[in-house]
Amino acid sequence: MAWRIGVDSGGTFTDVCLFEDETGEVVIWKVSSTPDDPSRGITQGVADGIERVGTSAGAVSYLGHGTTVATNALIQGRGVKTGLLTTGGFRDLLEIGRQKRPDLYDLQADKPELLVERHLRFGIEERVLADGTVEKTLDEAALREAVRALKAEGVKAVAVNFLYSFMHADHEKVAARILEEEFPEAFHSLSHRIAPEFREFERLSTTVVNAYLGPVMRGYVKALSGKLADLGLQVAPQLTQSNGGVIGFDAAADMPVRTVLSGPSTGVVAAQAVGRMTGINNLITFDMGGTSSDVALLADGQCRVVSESVVHGYPIKAPMLDIHTVGAGGGSIAYIDSGNHLKVGPRSAGANPGPACYGLGNDEPTVTDANVVLQTQNPEYLLNGRMKIDRSLSVKAVEKLADKLGMGVLETANGILDIVTANMAKAIRVISVQRGHDPRDYALVAFGGAGPVHAVRLARELGMKRIIVPKTPGVLCALGLLMTDLRTDFSATVLHRLDQVAPEAIASLYAGLETQAEAWFEREKIAPTARVLTRTVDCRYAGQNYEIAVALPEGPITTEAFRLVKEGFEQAHRQLYGFIAEGEPVQLVTYRLVASGLVEKAAFKAREIEGEDSSAAISGRRDVWMAEAGGFTSATLYNRDLLKPGNIVAGPAIIDQMDSTTVLPPGYVAKVDAYLNLIVEEK
Amino acid sequence: MTNAALAQSSAAALNPITVEVIGSAFASTVEEMGEALVRASYSTNIKERRDCSTALFDATGAMLCQAEHIPMHLGSFIGFIPYVLEHVGAETLAPGDVFIGNDAYEGGGTHLPDIVLAEPIFHDGKLIAWAINTAHHSDFADRGHAHIYQEGLRIPPVRLYRKGILQEDIQKLFLLNCQVPHERMSDLRAQMAANRLGVTRLKELCDKYSTETVLAAGRELMDYAERKMRAGIASIPDGTYRFSDLFDAESLREQLEFSVTITVKGDEMHLDFVSPPQVRAGLNVVYTALLSTVYYAVKTVVDPTVLPNAGLARPIHVTAQKGTLLNCAHPAAVDGRIAACQRVVDLIHGALAQVVPHRVTAACNGSVAVASFSGTRADGSLWVYLETIGGGFGARYNKDGLDGVHVHMTNTSNLPLESLETEYPLTLVAYELVDGSGGAGEFRGGMGLRRVYRAEADCRVSVGGSRFISRPWGLGGGLEGGLGSFTVLGAPDRLVNGAGDIFKGDILEIVTPGAGGYGKPADRAPAAVATDIRDGRISSADAKAIYGL
Repeated sequence: MAWRIGVDSGGTFTDVCLFEDETGEVVIWKVSSTPDDPSRGITQGVADGIERVGTSAGAVSYLGHGTTVATNALIQGRGVKTGLLTTGGFRDLLEIGRQKRPDLYDLQADKPELLVERHLRFGIEERVLADGTVEKTLDEAALREAVRALKAEGVKAVAVNFLYSFMHADHEKVAARILEEEFPEAFHSLSHRIAPEFREFERLSTTVVNAYLGPVMRGYVKALSGKLADLGLQVAPQLTQSNGGVIGFDAAADMPVRTVLSGPSTGVVAAQAVGRMTGINNLITFDMGGTSSDVALLADGQCRVVSESVVHGYPIKAPMLDIHTVGAGGGSIAYIDSGNHLKVGPRSAGANPGPACYGLGNDEPTVTDANVVLQTQNPEYLLNGRMKIDRSLSVKAVEKLADKLGMGVLETANGILDIVTANMAKAIRVISVQRGHDPRDYALVAFGGAGPVHAVRLARELGMKRIIVPKTPGVLCALGLLMTDLRTDFSATVLHRLDQVAPEAIASLYAGLETQAEAWFEREKIAPTARVLTRTVDCRYAGQNYEIAVALPEGPITTEAFRLVKEGFEQAHRQLYGFIAEGEPVQLVTYRLVASGLVEKAAFKAREIEGEDSSAAISGRRDVWMAEAGGFTSATLYNRDLLKPGNIVAGPAIIDQMDSTTVLPPGYVAKVDAYLNLIVEEK
Repeated sequence: MTNAALAQSSAAALNPITVEVIGSAFASTVEEMGEALVRASYSTNIKERRDCSTALFDATGAMLCQAEHIPMHLGSFIGFIPYVLEHVGAETLAPGDVFIGNDAYEGGGTHLPDIVLAEPIFHDGKLIAWAINTAHHSDFADRGHAHIYQEGLRIPPVRLYRKGILQEDIQKLFLLNCQVPHERMSDLRAQMAANRLGVTRLKELCDKYSTETVLAAGRELMDYAERKMRAGIASIPDGTYRFSDLFDAESLREQLEFSVTITVKGDEMHLDFVSPPQVRAGLNVVYTALLSTVYYAVKTVVDPTVLPNAGLARPIHVTAQKGTLLNCAHPAAVDGRIAACQRVVDLIHGALAQVVPHRVTAACNGSVAVASFSGTRADGSLWVYLETIGGGFGARYNKDGLDGVHVHMTNTSNLPLESLETEYPLTLVAYELVDGSGGAGEFRGGMGLRRVYRAEADCRVSVGGSRFISRPWGLGGGLEGGLGSFTVLGAPDRLVNGAGDIFKGDILEIVTPGAGGYGKPADRAPAAVATDIRDGRISSADAKAIYGL
């Protein structure tokens, strides 16, 4: 018996998913998180899980972990005291950024917290010019003095970012040596290693965020590996990065900035696996929790990877899955603004006091209250009866808004759901329509506690015809950890015109990246047969400043490969912007190499299809307000755990399970597939 | 309560929910148009500095929604479509027509580099709306500013495309008047693509909800913005509030006095501006630019969340005598109108500080420092590079102002140094905050910026700004912020009225003004003063002199 374990550590719960390779058995386990030291909760969860399935830590063949440690430290300002060494004359660049103010009209708005105080930022004499030549060599003595000053100030991490380090890294390498000599105990973050790409501010921001989070992540990883080893775990644990791949703990501790989207990216990977299972490859993922929803698009089973994004106000250049987050969740509060319009979120009641129906002191209606009023969610209790709620409190809260709007309570509750649906649809448009994809060609994968409740409404709003609700929507991220390959990204930036550069020059750039990748494969002990390299190149028309990633065909780099790159670029440009600039030269900017170590993934086993009759899973009936029915209608209640492969459920119906509720309006039918996913379609 | 009793029905087709949903579709459409414009464009001013805006208008020429880019650009939009409707005529429009225009006196522009492209949207054969965008083309460099004829090519709204066909003669005429025609053409292509998106999205919306519903929702959203604006104005005590300030600029010999009288009565506001006669310099403000400035300033005070559509203007009335600097007439030059517009915002905030002091800030830097460089490349082609530099943001009643940001009427990005130096013969020597430039107070005003360039080739420079003489004022006992300056090091006479030649190796230093402080310096927390000293934001000597610490 070989068990694989996925552990997803969130703010409230730590989800553990155990999978047995031979039988395909899946066991899910939830324990309370321990936010002060998440490694305790995780170790507890793993220990409990192992005991529950009756195996030993030594027999665990894989452990993958998704974490919010980096994200939370960034949001809550709990990184370390950090110093910065940068080119003289530019120490304020970190503050100035792109010189834009944070909000166009709000005079009270502020920029995100500064991660390095001004007196800890040192401008050092050195200068490289735009063509890579050195105008002023680095003043090593001044740098050494600055390092000593930072040490005396008690910083725990030092970031280094010199101008043009992406093409001339020597000065940063000297800085690295001096840091090793003078201040080895600090965490060092060097821009040419963290983000060797042009645009100095974004590279600086990334390097600083990395430094700021470095010691936090290093401490966390150390504590967790120690505890897991004490438990008797033999395998090296892996951690997910924002790019959807996993990486060894040590590498993660070196580049924590690459893990800021660790949590949501795991959900996307899980949805990808669900897609493979169901044979549906064009998917839009919809992960709805208490305060926010994450959405992403998978075309042909692949999620676009972006090389830069703004996370909690900080620009970050790191490979990240193209995930869009919107402040709309079950706890989002509905209110009426001064113009008498109904609005929902982004303010959230959170888990405490939570929705009005919890009776813990919040009297403003939330999205959950709207569902309770309409009885789409159980009006008496949540979590399979573990939590009592009071519908009359929801009604009272919604009624206050209804009176102001001059609308009925039910109509208002339904309106709250319509508005929150519109907010989520807007997020999906960003990742689909705005990128040239029509959502109607995609299936919606709904997960997170609240996803399956709102999925059909959302799909209808976007004209999507099919919805997939995975077997365990509430803990899908933990499952995703069992589906993830090892992955890391290498890049180099050099401007070349496609019609002027020799293929050999590009080949030699990739050869350099491949050397780095080989070293990484060795470090991670990835078997030669499991090694995969993928090349892409960021292109634009010479003169533009935003690039489009284009795949480079396999094999040697030739003029034929260039032709295919140009073709791919033009196709993508047309899809994104609706035109191509005939005759304009194409420029190559950044060369990227993705190194993957293929992990043997949990293979889910298909079950035997049984009959269509789902009546054995019926648990009762309830009046549920459905817009399609124009009012309350009697819906059949089902217990998800009792549904069998092949069963068919027709709406109006409510399918309950411990970690979520699926709402099926009249006119919709859910079919249980061989993997116990629900496939929902219009009748 | 029984469920039957809860189910009070209202059969209105256009409930507030539908309106909200359609409003959110408008907002995502204009955002998407803006992204497409930036990403597909070529000139640094658009692709990196994002000096462009997008909007949707209804068939009558009222704005449905503007993207949150540059408040100043509203001025270029609000006059454009009414002009087309009046002078070209709705009956002559056909699908695929695209109008181009920029003129301040014929077509509602605010200065010539902001070139507008507008495309009518037809659905089921009927004109239902407009997609419109403007981009600041960094061209028309090194021109005179005695009157508008010197400032660049004047283009009244004319068709650049007729039923989808490019009017090549019009394009040729335009490009021949530009110094960097290749960039202009590529940027126009990006502007076209942005409007095409707007057209497609709005038609999709009409297919889904019906044209009537979409247009009715548009009207309701305007009413909604109006209601919010009125509710906000009503919360300001009735009364008359006056404020005046002195305006200076690199091209003026003396300071000019601007003043405003604001009368708040119930839920309406009237603003009357007094300024000297228009000047023979590129500083004059046309009425639509004044309007967009007032709408911005009032919105920040009244309710920053009001939707950016035509409804918000309804309770606001603006007067200024024609032919004065703040409401100029043909042929006044207008290129640098934004400096005066920034001061109009200050005037409004200064006047309203008397009655709602917590909703305004001390004076922001009151300027937009502009630097424009141009020259000839080795191959004989011309290059033009323009940038604007932020400064101090005024202190708030409860916290310090922001350091080194763009304020009020603009919000463009800087150009990354690694992009600037690659594309132009310029090297940046320093880019930093100006120590001591934030006005002292219980809360400190924001700091100005210093940007220092070295010319790597001979080139022509022109610079512009304000607050070289009169400092950004403080509020509630707060002190004034630092002044701005332009200097060619070692050659102070090189620039005359802000323009001149610089040569390879010359160093140009631009310092932008800081901002005013809020509250008495004596009330500043000693720890905050200590932090400012430690961080070098103020000197120990100043700390002693001003704060007694």
